[in-house]
Amino acid sequence: MPRKNPGRVRPQQPKAVQRGERGDAFRCVGCRLDVPMDAPGTAHRNHCPHCLTSLHVDHRIPGDRRAGCRGPMAALSVTVRPDGEWLIIHHCQACGGLSANRIAGDDNALALLRIAVRPLSDSRLPVNALLAL
Amino acid sequence: MSANGKPRSIISTDTFACVRCGLTVAAHAPDGARRNHCPSCLHSLHVLDRVEGGPSECRSRMNPISIAVLRTGDWMIIHRCSRCGELTSNPICGDDNQLILMRMAVRPLAQPPFPLEAFGDL
Repeated sequence: MPRKNPGRVRPQQPKAVQRGERGDAFRCVGCRLDVPMDAPGTAHRNHCPHCLTSLHVDHRIPGDRRAGCRGPMAALSVTVRPDGEWLIIHHCQACGGLSANRIAGDDNALALLRIAVRPLSDSRLPVNALLAL
Repeated sequence: MSANGKPRSIISTDTFACVRCGLTVAAHAPDGARRNHCPSCLHSLHVLDRVEGGPSECRSRMNPISIAVLRTGDWMIIHRCSRCGELTSNPICGDDNQLILMRMAVRPLAQPPFPLEAFGDL
Protein backbone atom coordinates (compact mmCIF):
# COMPACT_ATOMS: atom_id res chain seq x y z
CA MET A 1 0.00 0.00 0.00
CA PRO A 2 1.52 3.37 -0.89
CA ARG A 3 2.08 5.63 2.08
CA LYS A 4 -0.19 8.65 2.24
CA ASN A 5 2.58 11.21 2.66
CA PRO A 6 5.81 9.80 1.26
CA GLY A 7 7.66 13.05 2.02
CA ARG A 8 11.21 13.63 0.93
CA VAL A 9 12.80 10.59 -0.66
CA ARG A 10 16.37 10.14 0.49
CA PRO A 11 18.43 7.99 -1.86
CA GLN A 12 20.60 5.43 -0.10
CA GLN A 13 24.35 5.44 -0.51
CA PRO A 14 25.64 2.47 -2.46
CA LYS A 15 28.30 0.41 -0.73
CA ALA A 16 31.68 1.98 -1.44
CA VAL A 17 33.82 -1.06 -0.76
CA GLN A 18 32.81 -4.69 -0.89
CA ARG A 19 34.18 -6.17 2.32
CA GLY A 20 35.16 -9.81 2.02
CA GLU A 21 33.36 -12.35 -0.09
CA ARG A 22 29.96 -11.01 -1.01
CA GLY A 23 27.66 -13.98 -1.30
CA ASP A 24 24.10 -13.87 -2.50
CA ALA A 25 22.64 -15.18 0.75
CA PHE A 26 23.36 -15.50 4.47
CA ARG A 27 22.00 -17.73 7.19
CA CYS A 28 20.16 -16.05 10.05
CA VAL A 29 21.70 -16.60 13.49
CA GLY A 30 18.28 -16.60 15.14
CA CYS A 31 16.10 -18.89 13.03
CA ARG A 32 18.66 -20.42 10.58
CA LEU A 33 16.68 -19.19 7.58
CA ASP A 34 18.66 -18.71 4.37
CA VAL A 35 18.10 -15.06 3.46
CA PRO A 36 18.93 -13.53 0.05
CA MET A 37 21.07 -10.38 0.25
CA ASP A 38 18.77 -8.37 -2.02
CA ALA A 39 16.01 -6.70 -0.04
CA PRO A 40 13.08 -4.72 -1.47
CA GLY A 41 13.13 -1.09 -0.39
CA THR A 42 16.65 -0.99 0.99
CA ALA A 43 20.22 -1.34 -0.23
CA HIS A 44 21.46 -2.79 3.04
CA ARG A 45 19.99 -5.99 4.36
CA ASN A 46 20.95 -6.02 8.02
CA HIS A 47 18.41 -8.27 9.68
CA CYS A 48 16.50 -11.45 9.01
CA PRO A 49 13.07 -10.72 7.45
CA HIS A 50 11.52 -13.66 9.26
CA CYS A 51 12.61 -13.28 12.92
CA LEU A 52 14.17 -9.75 12.66
CA THR A 53 17.39 -10.92 14.34
CA SER A 54 20.60 -9.13 13.36
CA LEU A 55 24.31 -9.66 13.96
CA HIS A 56 26.56 -7.20 15.83
CA VAL A 57 29.18 -6.42 13.17
CA ASP A 58 29.19 -2.60 12.98
CA HIS A 59 30.92 -0.44 15.59
CA ARG A 60 29.88 3.22 15.42
CA ILE A 61 29.17 3.87 11.76
CA PRO A 62 26.70 1.63 9.89
CA GLY A 63 28.62 -0.60 7.50
CA ASP A 64 32.06 -0.13 9.09
CA ARG A 65 32.22 -3.84 10.16
CA ARG A 66 34.56 -2.91 13.01
CA ALA A 67 32.75 -4.49 15.96
CA GLY A 68 34.64 -7.39 17.49
CA CYS A 69 31.48 -8.67 19.12
CA ARG A 70 29.55 -10.59 16.42
CA GLY A 71 26.84 -11.46 18.94
CA PRO A 72 23.21 -11.96 17.92
CA MET A 73 21.07 -8.83 18.13
CA ALA A 74 17.41 -9.27 19.00
CA ALA A 75 14.72 -6.79 17.97
CA LEU A 76 13.92 -4.77 21.09
CA SER A 77 11.46 -2.12 19.97
CA VAL A 78 10.15 -0.12 17.04
CA THR A 79 10.46 3.61 16.51
CA VAL A 80 9.23 5.99 13.82
CA ARG A 81 11.15 8.65 11.96
CA PRO A 82 9.41 11.99 11.43
CA ASP A 83 8.73 10.96 7.80
CA GLY A 84 6.78 7.90 8.99
CA GLU A 85 9.42 5.27 8.33
CA TRP A 86 9.77 2.50 10.91
CA LEU A 87 13.10 1.61 12.48
CA ILE A 88 13.85 -1.51 14.50
CA ILE A 89 15.97 -1.01 17.64
CA HIS A 90 18.28 -3.99 17.92
CA HIS A 91 19.82 -5.00 21.24
CA CYS A 92 23.01 -7.07 21.27
CA GLN A 93 22.59 -10.17 23.41
CA ALA A 94 26.34 -10.43 24.00
CA CYS A 95 27.48 -6.88 24.84
CA GLY A 96 24.25 -4.94 25.33
CA GLY A 97 24.83 -2.50 22.47
CA LEU A 98 21.93 -0.86 20.64
CA SER A 99 21.44 0.03 16.99
CA ALA A 100 18.60 1.37 14.88
CA ASN A 101 17.91 -0.16 11.47
CA ARG A 102 15.33 0.62 8.78
CA ILE A 103 12.78 -2.07 8.12
CA ALA A 104 12.82 -3.78 4.72
CA GLY A 105 9.88 -4.38 2.43
CA ASP A 106 9.76 -8.13 3.08
CA ASP A 107 10.01 -8.00 6.88
CA ASN A 108 7.58 -10.15 8.81
CA ALA A 109 4.64 -7.83 9.47
CA LEU A 110 3.34 -9.97 12.30
CA ALA A 111 6.69 -9.90 14.10
CA LEU A 112 6.92 -6.13 13.66
CA LEU A 113 3.40 -5.54 14.92
CA ARG A 114 4.00 -7.82 17.89
CA ILE A 115 6.91 -5.64 18.99
CA ALA A 116 4.95 -2.46 18.36
CA VAL A 117 1.94 -3.44 20.48
CA ARG A 118 4.01 -4.90 23.32
CA PRO A 119 3.89 -1.68 25.44
CA LEU A 120 0.11 -1.53 25.03
CA SER A 121 -0.48 -5.14 26.00
CA ASP A 122 0.45 -4.75 29.68
CA SER A 123 -2.28 -3.09 31.69
CA ARG A 124 -0.06 -1.26 34.11
CA LEU A 125 0.08 2.41 34.99
CA PRO A 126 0.62 4.26 31.69
CA VAL A 127 -2.29 2.57 29.93
CA ASN A 128 -4.54 3.29 32.87
CA ALA A 129 -3.47 6.93 32.80
CA LEU A 130 -4.64 7.23 29.21
CA LEU A 131 -7.94 5.53 29.93
CA ALA A 132 -8.54 7.87 32.86
CA LEU A 133 -8.59 10.94 30.60
CA MET B 1 28.91 5.55 54.12
CA SER B 2 30.13 9.10 54.39
CA ALA B 3 33.53 10.22 55.65
CA ASN B 4 32.58 10.50 59.32
CA GLY B 5 31.26 6.94 59.48
CA LYS B 6 27.56 7.79 59.61
CA PRO B 7 25.30 6.34 56.91
CA ARG B 8 24.62 8.90 54.19
CA SER B 9 21.16 10.38 54.29
CA ILE B 10 18.69 9.08 51.73
CA ILE B 11 17.33 12.58 51.24
CA SER B 12 19.35 14.43 48.64
CA THR B 13 18.99 18.07 47.69
CA ASP B 14 20.86 17.75 44.38
CA THR B 15 18.98 19.19 41.42
CA PHE B 16 19.61 19.66 37.72
CA ALA B 17 17.90 21.78 35.10
CA CYS B 18 16.45 19.91 32.12
CA VAL B 19 18.22 20.81 28.87
CA ARG B 20 14.99 20.93 26.90
CA CYS B 21 12.17 22.21 29.11
CA GLY B 22 14.28 23.94 31.76
CA LEU B 23 12.47 22.26 34.63
CA THR B 24 14.51 22.04 37.81
CA VAL B 25 14.47 18.36 38.72
CA ALA B 26 15.63 16.59 41.86
CA ALA B 27 18.62 14.44 40.91
CA HIS B 28 17.24 11.44 42.77
CA ALA B 29 13.92 9.82 42.04
CA PRO B 30 11.49 9.06 44.89
CA ASP B 31 12.77 5.48 45.05
CA GLY B 32 16.34 6.71 45.66
CA ALA B 33 17.79 5.88 42.23
CA ARG B 34 19.64 8.60 40.37
CA ARG B 35 17.65 10.08 37.51
CA ASN B 36 18.97 10.12 33.98
CA HIS B 37 16.12 11.94 32.26
CA CYS B 38 13.67 14.73 32.95
CA PRO B 39 10.37 13.32 34.29
CA SER B 40 8.39 16.01 32.48
CA CYS B 41 9.67 15.89 28.89
CA LEU B 42 11.76 12.66 29.18
CA HIS B 43 14.79 14.26 27.48
CA SER B 44 18.26 13.35 28.68
CA LEU B 45 21.85 14.55 28.36
CA HIS B 46 24.62 12.59 26.64
CA VAL B 47 27.14 12.26 29.46
CA LEU B 48 28.05 8.55 29.29
CA ASP B 49 29.74 6.89 26.33
CA ARG B 50 28.34 3.40 25.92
CA VAL B 51 30.73 2.14 23.22
CA GLU B 52 33.98 3.24 24.84
CA GLY B 53 32.75 3.37 28.45
CA GLY B 54 33.29 6.27 30.81
CA PRO B 55 32.20 9.90 30.38
CA SER B 56 31.26 11.24 26.97
CA GLU B 57 32.57 14.46 25.44
CA CYS B 58 29.35 15.03 23.53
CA ARG B 59 27.09 16.47 26.27
CA SER B 60 24.22 17.29 23.95
CA ARG B 61 20.53 16.59 24.22
CA MET B 62 19.17 13.07 23.90
CA ASN B 63 15.64 12.72 22.54
CA PRO B 64 13.36 9.88 23.66
CA ILE B 65 12.50 7.88 20.54
CA SER B 66 10.78 4.71 21.66
CA ILE B 67 9.58 2.44 24.44
CA ALA B 68 10.98 -1.05 24.85
CA VAL B 69 9.41 -3.69 27.07
CA LEU B 70 11.79 -6.19 28.59
CA ARG B 71 10.92 -9.82 29.25
CA THR B 72 10.37 -8.89 32.88
CA GLY B 73 7.68 -6.41 31.84
CA ASP B 74 9.76 -3.36 32.74
CA TRP B 75 9.58 -0.40 30.40
CA MET B 76 12.74 1.18 29.05
CA ILE B 77 13.06 4.50 27.22
CA ILE B 78 15.35 4.45 24.18
CA HIS B 79 17.18 7.78 23.89
CA ARG B 80 19.03 8.96 20.80
CA CYS B 81 21.64 11.72 20.96
CA SER B 82 20.62 14.62 18.75
CA ARG B 83 24.26 15.34 17.85
CA CYS B 84 26.12 12.05 17.49
CA GLY B 85 23.25 9.58 17.12
CA GLU B 86 24.26 7.33 20.01
CA LEU B 87 21.47 5.15 21.43
CA THR B 88 20.96 4.39 25.11
CA SER B 89 18.24 2.63 27.06
CA ASN B 90 17.17 3.68 30.53
CA PRO B 91 14.46 2.31 32.83
CA ILE B 92 11.42 4.51 33.31
CA CYS B 93 10.82 6.18 36.63
CA GLY B 94 7.64 6.16 38.70
CA ASP B 95 6.97 9.86 38.22
CA ASP B 96 7.71 10.04 34.48
CA ASN B 97 5.13 11.83 32.35
CA GLN B 98 2.80 9.01 31.40
CA LEU B 99 1.13 10.84 28.53
CA ILE B 100 4.48 11.23 26.77
CA LEU B 101 5.26 7.58 27.48
CA MET B 102 1.96 6.55 25.92
CA ARG B 103 2.46 8.89 22.98
CA MET B 104 5.76 7.20 22.20
CA ALA B 105 4.23 3.76 22.62
CA VAL B 106 1.37 4.36 20.17
CA ARG B 107 3.33 6.39 17.61
CA PRO B 108 4.37 3.36 15.48
CA LEU B 109 0.77 2.19 15.29
CA ALA B 110 -0.37 5.62 14.12
CA GLN B 111 1.89 5.41 11.04
CA PRO B 112 1.96 1.72 10.07
CA PRO B 113 4.04 0.82 6.98
CA PHE B 114 1.52 -1.89 6.06
CA PRO B 115 -2.28 -2.01 6.31
CA LEU B 116 -3.40 -3.20 9.72
CA GLU B 117 -6.83 -4.30 8.48
CA ALA B 118 -5.43 -7.67 7.39
CA PHE B 119 -4.56 -8.52 11.00
CA GLY B 120 -8.23 -8.52 11.92
CA ASP B 121 -8.74 -11.67 9.80
CA LEU B 122 -5.95 -13.60 11.50
